[in-house]
Amino acid sequence: MSDELLLTVILPAYNEAKVIGGVIDEIQSTLPCRIVVVDDGSSDNTIEYVREKGVMVIRHLLNRGAGASCMTGISLARENNWQQVAFLDADGQHVATDLLVLQACMKETEADLVIGSRFMHAENRIPRIRRIFNAMANILTNTFCKHHYSDTQSGFRLLNRRAIEAIDLYQDDFSYCSEMIIQAEQADLKISECPIFVRYTEYSMSKGQDFQVGVMTAFHFLWKLIFK
Amino acid sequence: MEIRIFQWLVPALALSFLMSHLLRYYRGRIDLRETVSGILLWLGVSALAIFPDAISNAFAQVLGFKSNTNAILFLAVSLLFYFQYRLYHIQVRQRRQLTQLTRALALQEFLEKEKS
Repeated sequence: MSDELLLTVILPAYNEAKVIGGVIDEIQSTLPCRIVVVDDGSSDNTIEYVREKGVMVIRHLLNRGAGASCMTGISLARENNWQQVAFLDADGQHVATDLLVLQACMKETEADLVIGSRFMHAENRIPRIRRIFNAMANILTNTFCKHHYSDTQSGFRLLNRRAIEAIDLYQDDFSYCSEMIIQAEQADLKISECPIFVRYTEYSMSKGQDFQVGVMTAFHFLWKLIFK
Repeated sequence: MEIRIFQWLVPALALSFLMSHLLRYYRGRIDLRETVSGILLWLGVSALAIFPDAISNAFAQVLGFKSNTNAILFLAVSLLFYFQYRLYHIQVRQRRQLTQLTRALALQEFLEKEKS
């Protein structure tokens, strides 16, 4: 397989020193791919752990948020002409073997963007509070979408070259998840969803969105839609 | 007519701000739009200070408020909301610029390392 055709797995990471090594090991033992960590201005030693693993690192000097990290990954993919890019959360909640599921789904449905849906997998035990947040975010996002999506806030995504070229994220925070779907629809990209497994640990629960972040995310998302 | 302190103090301050606006315009630090809106603002503030009752009563009558105090409060709150909107808008723009700068530096550093 030529270097450009190789799957690139991008891990946006902020203060993930505790788990990032394990996440990289899991991905490396699952499939041949290029791994890029976007270090979003971590104040712990995330970057040293990543360098030890010998994978690529791109570093934000300042913490700019999950959306900003994701867009940096997309910019890098554009610059290097990478053909397929997957995004995974660096907190270890995603299972690397699901990368194969997303790839198979992209091939089968000829989608440009595949979203790994936590809610399509029957065995997932998602905490109630996360279900509520996600349900609210789904309602908000689906209001502005042509189609209905079961997990608009999933950070596990696979993009092909068309999606890499078309998506230009503006939101720096978690509202990038919704923005990416809306932009993909506007660019007439085909979007598919497939079930993924998630591990909710005490660590992963301490990361991501809480009520306050959720409210601000919704506010930024609506502000951008109204005053763009 | 009795002249109260604020009736000369506020116009005097407004005049100094107005002069500073004109000076900044002549030095090319601000554009015509900014200058005109600044002049209009300070002229308005001066007029309100010199003729407080006449202007607030006229304003109350136009908007249908029973008292001029309510009209002034309404105006003040509206202005606060407007400035809040402007400030948030500026903050969003600056956040965006900061992100773009951070990204550009990150990409530059990455590509330089890849080359070497």
